[in-house]
Amino acid sequence: MSVLSWVKVTVCLWLLRMMVKVAKWLVLGAVAVAAWPVTLVAVAGFAAACLRGWPVTRLRRDAVACLLPVTAVWLLLEALRQRSWQAVALAPVRDWAQGWHHLTGSGEARTFLLVAPVAIPAGLGLAALAWAWRTYALTTGIGGWTASAPITFDARQWKRQVRTAKGRIAAPGSVPLLARGGRIPAGGTIRAIGHRWHPVFSIPHTECARHMVVVGATGSGKTNLMMRLWAGWFTAALDAARAGRGRRPLLVVLDCKGGPDARVKADRTRRLLYGAGARRVAIWPDEARLSLWDLPPGDLAVLLYQMIDSGTGAAAYYADILQAVLTLAVTAPGGPPLNAAAFLDRLDARWLAHAWGDGRHPEQLARARSAARHLPDIQLRFATLLGRLGPALDGPGNLADADAWYFILEGTREPSVAEAQAMALTALAAHAVTSLASEPRAMLLAADDYSAVARRVPISNLYERGRSLGIGVQVSAQSWEGLGASEDERYRIAATADGGVWIMSTPHPEPLAALAGTRRVLETAHRLVGAAWGDEGTTRERRAWNADPELIRRLDVGQACYIHRGAATFVQVARPRPSPLSLLPAQAPVVLPAPRREAEPAAGPVLASLDDVLGPGAAP
Amino acid sequence: MTASPFDALGLPARPDLSDEQVRAAWRAIAAATHPDRPGGGDVARYTDATAAYAILRTPWGRSEAFADLAAAVDDTSPLPAVPAAGPPPAAPVRPGNMLAAGRRLLGASRQLPARIQHGRPLRLAIRALAACLLSLFVLHLIPGQPAAPALVTGLIVWFLRTGRSDLAPPG
Repeated sequence: MSVLSWVKVTVCLWLLRMMVKVAKWLVLGAVAVAAWPVTLVAVAGFAAACLRGWPVTRLRRDAVACLLPVTAVWLLLEALRQRSWQAVALAPVRDWAQGWHHLTGSGEARTFLLVAPVAIPAGLGLAALAWAWRTYALTTGIGGWTASAPITFDARQWKRQVRTAKGRIAAPGSVPLLARGGRIPAGGTIRAIGHRWHPVFSIPHTECARHMVVVGATGSGKTNLMMRLWAGWFTAALDAARAGRGRRPLLVVLDCKGGPDARVKADRTRRLLYGAGARRVAIWPDEARLSLWDLPPGDLAVLLYQMIDSGTGAAAYYADILQAVLTLAVTAPGGPPLNAAAFLDRLDARWLAHAWGDGRHPEQLARARSAARHLPDIQLRFATLLGRLGPALDGPGNLADADAWYFILEGTREPSVAEAQAMALTALAAHAVTSLASEPRAMLLAADDYSAVARRVPISNLYERGRSLGIGVQVSAQSWEGLGASEDERYRIAATADGGVWIMSTPHPEPLAALAGTRRVLETAHRLVGAAWGDEGTTRERRAWNADPELIRRLDVGQACYIHRGAATFVQVARPRPSPLSLLPAQAPVVLPAPRREAEPAAGPVLASLDDVLGPGAAP
Repeated sequence: MTASPFDALGLPARPDLSDEQVRAAWRAIAAATHPDRPGGGDVARYTDATAAYAILRTPWGRSEAFADLAAAVDDTSPLPAVPAAGPPPAAPVRPGNMLAAGRRLLGASRQLPARIQHGRPLRLAIRALAACLLSLFVLHLIPGQPAAPALVTGLIVWFLRTGRSDLAPPG
């Protein structure tokens, strides 16, 4: 074959290929023009999906949502009028054909409206197909004009999806604290990978009653997310209790960082919980107290022992003495101490000898005598510890007194005190759940920034204790490293979070993102002819992250990735707000029973003269 | 003494009042009724207001007082201690259930004005206007055709589905 004939054949083949392509587009164009009402709706649907970053599911659902009321009513009325299914089936064709005889603006509008009950669902269905193909072609690399088309497409769609999700959560009624079926709405769905897509992402409230991990850097919107989950869980549990399907809820929040921010957060949480139906929300230690001494003597002795940093090595000898003395002091006949002062009084050789010296406890008496020379030291250590802890754990007060407790631990300012307080509070929470004497409650124990106090009480302990007691535990940390001291502990916490893992913006999300697993995706390589794409290439399968760490690293404030059961959903979290209706003034006239407690005389405004009320420095 | 400490200070019975609101209410009453005022003031009212202020001056105190009020209004506090149970059995359709559903519907419709007021009323009005105008357009252009009521139904459904998001969440 000569060069000329080879060129001729090549050109002919190229022309033939082009003709087939052009013919294909011409036929498609002719069909589109002929079925213009369907084309119109399909184009509008496709454009909306593209500009708003909708997934294909959304268009499909719209088609079905339109099909049900509009087409069904139209079919019914048409059937009543025509009285023949054949005529009903041909009615849109007839209307469409008549439309070609009135090629005016109003004539076309009339034709469109006549065939709309069929054209709209059909058009939306077609748009869904076209959008599915477009997405497929671009994500697999077989579509687009340039090599970077898949990357550009993904980035553009992400922006649009975020914008749409933000618009969705701006509507007041879109994201209530609790949705139907006891689901807790978290915010607008940005992108769902593996999970079913819904415009508003929600989780069943039962997930909160399990274990959940929230990881996000400071300022990533972690608090808003956690508050929303608390309020949602509380509302759902309260509803269930009122319907006789569960226990009354008790929310316990440990804010382990402390500081002025914690007060603001506590106040916001309180307002939110009032809106959710809570009656009493206590903020510790500012407004309410608890009594450490309500614990059973055995637990109290163990707790007091753990609260003191006893060291290791040679110090173990003194640790044993400490434990023995504490057991003697707390379990003495006559019951455990009622407060810190009574406890410190017991750390005295004479007191112990008197308490155990009734002749029935010779062994305990002997132990008390042999430990006598250590007692002043032990008393000094506990006096110091209890003094630093302050009066907030010295009663009176009980966890059962309120619907929710917000504990502020100064973990940043005084880590050792906060650690001791955290130990005491978790022991009290465990006691509240297991105590047979008090009403059983459904408890959610949320530890915000627990890593601030986790040096002596690792999160994993809290986690495992919660699991064994049937308490839902929610733990938050600022980073993967903050979840635990060792890699082993971190994995143990994250991998057992059966309620799901929320990741917000964080610099090292890979270990958590790996929990969502990977999925199979196609990747197409094109052969280059010069600087342009040729017609040939290969497609291969590879694995891609379900929760892309790069995407997580770039998450904006208020955006989160929820990982659950090997799938991931990106969410724009909605700021929790109580329903304004739930905080409206009480309407019914009520008669207040006699006050429960006397007003504190020192706190009340006891005034000497009118100047005290009106003066510039008016009290209190 | 007045029935409720909130009433004594002329405040709405709600737990989320701020310290400033309570203090301002007490100051206003105290200034008007203090025994040092010419004429001796109103000792009884002053005493009531002072006692109420002592109760309501802290958030925890307001929480307690609100809880007492709520407990007096309904029977939901303290809630009965019930053992945890599995999912509730499916409720059979009975006249009682239908009555309860009717009551719920009535309650929801009573809340509607407040939900509109606290939601996005302007957007809701624009949606309603758009649905009305489109319906009129359809009825004007294809009167008597089966497609007209079908499209109007579609517009009503669209309004109901999308308009919900413009309402404040139910209380």
